Amino acid sequence: MAVQYLNVVNRDQCIGCFSCMYACSRMVRNAGGSGKAALRVKGYAGVEGAFSIRVCARCEDPDCAKACPTGALTPAPNGGVRLKKDLCISCGACVKACAISALQWDEEERQPIPCIFCGQCVKYCPNDVLAMTEKPEGEDRR
Amino acid sequence: MTGRTLHVDLGSGTGRILDDGPAFSEWLGGSAAATELLFRHGDPKGDPLAPESPVIFAIGPFSALFPVATKTAALFKSPLTGELGESHAGGRLAMSLREAGIDALVITGRADRPSYLAIENDTVAVKSASTFWGQSATATDRILREAESKTGRKISVVRIGPAGERLSPMACATVDGSRHFGRLGLGAVLGSKNLKAIVVSGTKTLPLANPKEFKAVYDVLYDRVVRSKEMKKYHDLGTAANVKPLSMIRGLPTRNFSQGNFEGADAISGERFAEKFLVQHTACAHCQCGCIHLAELREEFAPYHYSTNRVSYDYELIYAMGSMLSLSSPEDILKLLLATEKQGWDVISLGCTLAWATESFLRGNLSLEETGGLSLSFGDGAAYLEVLERTAKGQGEFYRDLEKGCAFCSGKYGGEEWAVQYGGAEPGGYMTGENFAVTCMMGVRHSHLDDTGYSIDQKLLNAAQPLEDQVRAQVKEAQWRMVLNSLMICLFARGVYDEEVILRGLDALGLEWDAEKLQTMSEKALLRKYEWKALCGFDHGSVKIPEKMYSVQTATGLMDRDSLEERLRLYREYAGLKS
Repeated sequence: MAVQYLNVVNRDQCIGCFSCMYACSRMVRNAGGSGKAALRVKGYAGVEGAFSIRVCARCEDPDCAKACPTGALTPAPNGGVRLKKDLCISCGACVKACAISALQWDEEERQPIPCIFCGQCVKYCPNDVLAMTEKPEGEDRR
Repeated sequence: MTGRTLHVDLGSGTGRILDDGPAFSEWLGGSAAATELLFRHGDPKGDPLAPESPVIFAIGPFSALFPVATKTAALFKSPLTGELGESHAGGRLAMSLREAGIDALVITGRADRPSYLAIENDTVAVKSASTFWGQSATATDRILREAESKTGRKISVVRIGPAGERLSPMACATVDGSRHFGRLGLGAVLGSKNLKAIVVSGTKTLPLANPKEFKAVYDVLYDRVVRSKEMKKYHDLGTAANVKPLSMIRGLPTRNFSQGNFEGADAISGERFAEKFLVQHTACAHCQCGCIHLAELREEFAPYHYSTNRVSYDYELIYAMGSMLSLSSPEDILKLLLATEKQGWDVISLGCTLAWATESFLRGNLSLEETGGLSLSFGDGAAYLEVLERTAKGQGEFYRDLEKGCAFCSGKYGGEEWAVQYGGAEPGGYMTGENFAVTCMMGVRHSHLDDTGYSIDQKLLNAAQPLEDQVRAQVKEAQWRMVLNSLMICLFARGVYDEEVILRGLDALGLEWDAEKLQTMSEKALLRKYEWKALCGFDHGSVKIPEKMYSVQTATGLMDRDSLEERLRLYREYAGLKS
């Protein structure tokens, strides 16, 4: 299968229900709540404003990995990153290095949450905001 | 759900975590568990605005786990009715409390200066609100979202507007984007504690007892929420879809419950609001339906200069500020709603009180002297906006009284016959007949949401039903809602959550319940609420309906005194109340 990208295809249809974040925590990490999601829905311009959805861009040369001082976060062969948990020193430099604030932080584990591009968030979006695509698409994705 | 309860004493500015496990294991959670906490911490004989009077917030076992379990219950002693105060709100509060690991929050005491409460996981701080005391509910949200913003974290902001600071018994508490603990005066209780706002955020996740079964139940619910037609209507036009059909059957209260069909219904229908003003749908956290409808109100404040505001609307709001006041212009309604939102009034109580004042003025019961020279007439949107402004500024005794509600005002100025209130609470927007009247009188919150009286009335239009069956159905629904309201499921999802899926969900979370235990709990929970009401002095045998209601046409015709008496008797009997 071709490399899959997680894309925000209909940002303006987002209703801010966080269903995607709950899906990621539940389906990928077996956790109740939304705290272990690898993506984030942000409200901006006040809570009633539009929403902005931050998903991993699957960078080929990821800034987050470059910022990691211990080699815990490394580029994956087809873009994106992998985490070696035992090397992580919880410094948070990776999250700060992601300019689009897509890389999320697990407050309980004190570690980043790399996206695995499984598409569970897409499956549980009620308004077709997210899609798995073969290429990154569009210029208004976040 | 472990019954982890955060007790905050504003007097000393301290918080401590207590284990209230039994309240939750025995009573499920939410509304019923909070009732037990009210028994434990509240004095039914006490002054609702005294420092020791508690406010109790509680969530349920499904909060932040299953879809559309979005509500938080607030229990307190109501300054509007003097008895059980209970109001539910959505937004992000239930999610934030759950992710902070707090199942219930009990607030007592009075801060020595304007304050707000910041809760972040296990950290509790009482902080100064001196710089923004007096600010609108909307401005307070903007201020605190910046002051308390946390990287990578979602916060919930509950706050009062100036109405709550003035201790108006119809003041609400607003949650996040336009969700409200609307009814029965929570805003005044928080105001009396010098508590401007509560900010909650948390970062905890919940271990799943049985992940496989949990996910399977989730998928059943998700599918129903996203695909069922019951929920689709809330997403599409929203509750405003009811404006036209209710008017068509003479069930839309118009000009202070004078008639049930409003000639301007088309102009203020859900369809018209959507076509001309709707700009966005939003959702409470973890609700894939997204029923929050936001209209855009554009006003020219100088030639070619415009202000734009987003205003949330719903059926009850259009009734209270529209048909009740004979306003058929959506712009007029939106302007009044915006002013209401900023001040933090309960829109239903306010609309009913404005309608009472208008009828009083037209009947000559109120003079120009009392209204400060302002003529009140149905359909005059500009005058109503002026009334709200004078009330907000407290300009004159009459305007200071107006925000105390129908019962207070009619007690002082007369016109009790047409003051539409039941036990001190103004009703929701239904003029459907006797079942609804019984809801208003007997419902534990005097709310249309207590049972389904208005819906039973409407079914009678298609097929007659013996009176006993109607009342039995009503009581059964009131009891069943104890279950939904203790799980804190949004009632819009009542068609999604049947008993079978609820029991499966509880089982997947490792909670031991069966159908019989649920039923027993629901019957007992309803009676516990009546018990607390009785301790406050509420007599369910003596609550009356406003005299005017006997002489107006409802959807099911004129109401009959004997028939109503019989319904009340049966309601008490079926609910297990001693008469």
